[in-house]
Amino acid sequence: MFFRRMLENRMGMIGLAIILVNVAVAVLAPWIAGDPLKVNVANREAPPSKEYLFGTDEYGRDIFSRVVYGARISFYISILSVVVATIFGVAIGAVAGYYGRWIDNLLMRIMDAIMSFPAILLAIGIMAVLGGHLNNVVIALGFVYIPRFARVVRGSVLSLNEKEFVEASLAMGTNDWVILWRHILPNCMAPLIVQVTVNLAYAILAEASLSFLGLGAPPPAPSWGNILSDARNFMLDAPWMTVFPGIAISLAVLGFNLFGDGLRDVLDPRMK
Amino acid sequence: MIRYIIKRLLYFIPTLLLVALLVFFMVHLIPGDPVMVMLGDNASPENIAATRNALGLDRPLVFQFVFWLGNLVQGDFGTSIQTKQPVLQSIKERFPVTIILTTLALLFSLILALPSGAMAALYQNTQKDYLFMIATVLGVSLPGFWLGLMALLVFSVHFGWFPSIGFVPLWEDFWEGLRYMVLPSTTLGLYMAAVVARMTRSSMLEVLRLEYVTHARAKGLSEWKVVAKHALKNAFAPTLTVIGIQYGRLLGGAVVTETVFSLPGLGKYIVVAIYARDYPVVQGCILFIALIYVVINLVVDLLYSYFDPRIEYQ
Repeated sequence: MFFRRMLENRMGMIGLAIILVNVAVAVLAPWIAGDPLKVNVANREAPPSKEYLFGTDEYGRDIFSRVVYGARISFYISILSVVVATIFGVAIGAVAGYYGRWIDNLLMRIMDAIMSFPAILLAIGIMAVLGGHLNNVVIALGFVYIPRFARVVRGSVLSLNEKEFVEASLAMGTNDWVILWRHILPNCMAPLIVQVTVNLAYAILAEASLSFLGLGAPPPAPSWGNILSDARNFMLDAPWMTVFPGIAISLAVLGFNLFGDGLRDVLDPRMK
Repeated sequence: MIRYIIKRLLYFIPTLLLVALLVFFMVHLIPGDPVMVMLGDNASPENIAATRNALGLDRPLVFQFVFWLGNLVQGDFGTSIQTKQPVLQSIKERFPVTIILTTLALLFSLILALPSGAMAALYQNTQKDYLFMIATVLGVSLPGFWLGLMALLVFSVHFGWFPSIGFVPLWEDFWEGLRYMVLPSTTLGLYMAAVVARMTRSSMLEVLRLEYVTHARAKGLSEWKVVAKHALKNAFAPTLTVIGIQYGRLLGGAVVTETVFSLPGLGKYIVVAIYARDYPVVQGCILFIALIYVVINLVVDLLYSYFDPRIEYQ
């Protein structure tokens, strides 16, 4: 049922296709592209050509290779940070919603405080403290996105608490954790999956912004934001450095947004 | 409604405290000795001791927090390690740039979003509606700072229509100042425009189905009156909440936009301070922006009760 309706959702399927192409590019990078770090001084700032599809940068590095390898960094950070946010967010939201009272109050006030910061700003602050490193970006973005998942899960748990099948399990003396794990969480999956997809899009954008500011994976790592950050100094001489990484970011984000919208329409029509 | 307003105001205080606590702990997260990280490896022992003392790092953590909070309440946001200037002073100098940028971005996005969202709802499932949906999904997918770079390439470098970087205060030369802000504010506001437009569309769709709209139509009111006077006001309440939340995104996005266009605002100040490891500045600016954001959301919630008086505080 779900799969048939998803297959009929044209926009969602276009999104999925974009995601799959992107994943394929990231996985197959060594076979599609050359060395993204190879310096070639003779070919500095060369415009796009047959040899260098997207041109070269100020060190003569091939932009096409850098963009292709950039997909790896982008996916690594976005997927891991969303995994971190999901694990902590689900745990916090489930405990808050299930036990209620002061635990709920305490946990959700902390979540509110985290949400009181513009997400990217808090991530910038955390990166300023932790220092530029791939895994620090995962920590920073993962932390910043926890409340979104906690809220979604808490909301679903609250509505499920009232349901008869939960009350029945309680009456039978089932262990709290078993109820949460076996009965409640599986029923939170629909909004959770939508949230994961949408947050993957956010994380890709945020990672690109952070590395554009010089707070992501340190250079010469070929992250899309890093390439754009370099490109800014060579806009007059090498505009291609600006054009292609941006298209790559846009496509990656577009894929998750389209797929997320499709999932939302199919899984959770109320959220529309 | 009054109960709601009082509760909302009461709940504002713990939020502020928790926000302050988070910012406070941020600096204590620095791995190793924060003073060494700030001053670098070549710092003299006296310098280290003096900085540690100035930051109060030689006292217990709880004491440090209370002390810091006490200073904050008195308007002391700390002192820059680099310039030895009070952080609040520098914030005051730079904040107008950020406020102008984000306000223009907000205006731009509302002018674009509200009419187009309402129109899309009226033309639901027609070609116009589909075009609208495609435009909004593009709007939330294209990175604003990249659009900024592209706009610079096309409109400043190629056509020479707009100055490429820099800032002229609006209060000194309004039109010239505006010319400098066109590209930064539109590229920053586009994301918000897309989100608000979608929200307007879906809340309009919900409202248009309600009986009172049918009643207004049956009464023979013109379609314009039905939409503008009756439907839009109710549809606006959920949209308003989205605007409040999105304003935070503008404040965050401003950090990147100011870097792209070299605008001398708070965002650029934070980035420069990070490179200089000037943590009191980073801490002060982030706290300041978070406070602004919390206050804006408070105002939005209070306004909400005007647009939708049925609201209850859960």
